[in-house]
Amino acid sequence: MDAKDILGLPKNSVTQEKKSRPQKDSQRKPDGISREVYALTGGLAPLIPAIEASQLKKRPPSDEKITWQWLPFTNSARKDNLHLYHWVRIVNGVPPTGDYSFAKYNKMWTKEETDQLFELCQSFDLRFIVIADRFPSSRTVEELKDRYYSVARAMLIARAPSPGDISGHPLVKEPYNVSQETERKRALSMVLSQTKQQERKDAEVLAEAKRITESRMVARGAEESELPVPSNAGPESAERAAAIPADTVSPSSNVQQHPSAAVAPSTITVDNASILASLRMLRVYLRTYALDQMVQAASSSAGLRTIKRVEQTLQELGVNLKPRVPTKAVCAEHLELRREILTLLNLQKQLQYKEAEGSSYRDGSYADTPGTPKHLSHGGDQDRTFVPDMSFAGERMGKRDQKRKAPGRLSEAPLPAHKRPRKSKAADL
Amino acid sequence: MINSSSSKQVGQDQPATSEPKSQRTKIKMVKSEDSDKRMLNKKLKDVEISIPIVYGNVSFWLGKKASEYQSHKWTVYVRGATNEDIGVVIKRAVFQLHSSFKNPTRVVESPPFELSEAGWGEFEIAITLYFHSDLCDKPLTLYHHLKLYPEDESGPMSSKKPVVVECFDEIAFPEPSEGFLVRVQNHPAVNVPRLHTGFTLPPPVPFEDANRKKRGDTKDHPLSQWFMNFSEADELLQLAAARQQVQAHLAKLRRQISMIDGQHQQLKTISDS
Repeated sequence: MDAKDILGLPKNSVTQEKKSRPQKDSQRKPDGISREVYALTGGLAPLIPAIEASQLKKRPPSDEKITWQWLPFTNSARKDNLHLYHWVRIVNGVPPTGDYSFAKYNKMWTKEETDQLFELCQSFDLRFIVIADRFPSSRTVEELKDRYYSVARAMLIARAPSPGDISGHPLVKEPYNVSQETERKRALSMVLSQTKQQERKDAEVLAEAKRITESRMVARGAEESELPVPSNAGPESAERAAAIPADTVSPSSNVQQHPSAAVAPSTITVDNASILASLRMLRVYLRTYALDQMVQAASSSAGLRTIKRVEQTLQELGVNLKPRVPTKAVCAEHLELRREILTLLNLQKQLQYKEAEGSSYRDGSYADTPGTPKHLSHGGDQDRTFVPDMSFAGERMGKRDQKRKAPGRLSEAPLPAHKRPRKSKAADL
Repeated sequence: MINSSSSKQVGQDQPATSEPKSQRTKIKMVKSEDSDKRMLNKKLKDVEISIPIVYGNVSFWLGKKASEYQSHKWTVYVRGATNEDIGVVIKRAVFQLHSSFKNPTRVVESPPFELSEAGWGEFEIAITLYFHSDLCDKPLTLYHHLKLYPEDESGPMSSKKPVVVECFDEIAFPEPSEGFLVRVQNHPAVNVPRLHTGFTLPPPVPFEDANRKKRGDTKDHPLSQWFMNFSEADELLQLAAARQQVQAHLAKLRRQISMIDGQHQQLKTISDS
């Protein structure tokens, strides 16, 4: 007010503006909550309200009587004649007429539309892409195809003298599947629009997945045939394993040479062959990389502990875990050595099991055959003299076994000695 | 009219007959060239060639001249394992250094494929080898950890004796083109396996005069006195000895197993009776 006095402005015009502005100001100020909090909700409401507050208040028309009734309704879009109930707004006792309001969203085919479709199909020789272009209402190619094929199928079935006559017709046997087709085309367009990088990544992932499934299958095959690897197959596998690396390029010939051998050795060659094949796919590779792949493949059927034991054995033998001069020949020898150590460890385990069986036999037949334990213990002594000669693997095996439940070789000897005095006691009794 | 036409024909006869002949021979020549090209581009199966290489670094402590940020002078390199010229196979080598170096991507376009620098830190260097286009268009990357400081930290550092770390490997090309084989047959840097009998390569093009070309081998390289020795024979011997031991033990185990199997059999028959 002072400012206007100073400026010497007429009061009337200004006061009008001021009136509208305070109104707007009061509208701006949010009631009940602070301005900052109100701002968080999205800020000020638009200056011109979409809904007039005054209108909200004076809504119910005086001449109309509004009631709400719980009434049944049907949906023309449904084919099953389902009756549901909902609240209906009744004006002056007159319920609304007309179909269910959402029925119009159903993609209905009128006879007119269908006739148009068939005309176009006739004139354009079932070229649906052209037909879709010329179709009056916008329908997708898949929708048109679906309509055409389902109508044609229905007509075929209806006109056929007996269902058996047309059961061989392709339209009847394999009806058009809209959802499948839409999905297929969508997937195809996605593949088509892949960038080169995505393509490469996909190819890499697929190759990796293939390798993993292959190695898993081999592992399963090796597992299944691991137990029945009998000792008579042992020497064959060792010989063949030695024969392989000299000719790594033609593994198939090796498989042919020993058709009677156990399954496990041949699965090793199959795995090697797949590694070699994948290596050949690379235009260039490093020898150390190739060796790494083959070592991984060879140990894929073995557990982590076994792999550690192989490495321990290599170290005890004074062999580098990774060859210092990895030429083709050296890598082949290294791989063979690893395989032989793996066989060695497996055989040692076998021997353990057999000796455990043996001790249970001895316990059972002890009373009947007093002579036999002595005989067996001699065998046990023989074993023990072998072990110190081979400083690696064997002795270590025995030591570890003592901790385990299954009796190892070294724990055998005390058994008969322990029992012999008892025997005499029993005899005395 | 007939006469004139026939005379025309006769007139044209001589050049007409000679032309087709030369054309025919021309066509024949082009054909054989094409087949030669196709043969040279042909990839051979079951003929894998390999190039033995050694890569690593030599590092000298700068001694009195050492500063905080430049304490060592080092050279990272890729050389033929027998110091032959690998430029016959490798077109260029790219050394990717630590980002703290200026222009960390160093390209070496000709042998010897090496790079010298001064610094204080040890880091991984990626060495990407690009091959000649007739051999392979895909590059291969080696990784080498630069070593400046000796393993034995207790000893005094010497500026005379360098720290050397080298690594042996072989680059394998499973399906080289015949054209490449022709180029490198009998080259000392490349291992070419004996080809199947009945398979002959076309005669090789004689090598360029060595004097005209800059020598790419590292036989007289200034650092060659520090190069390590990699003996395939030694390692093969070691592996053979180890295999012998394992095989002997395997045989013993099998005997033991069969013995126990026999004993179990005996026990079983005794207990059954």
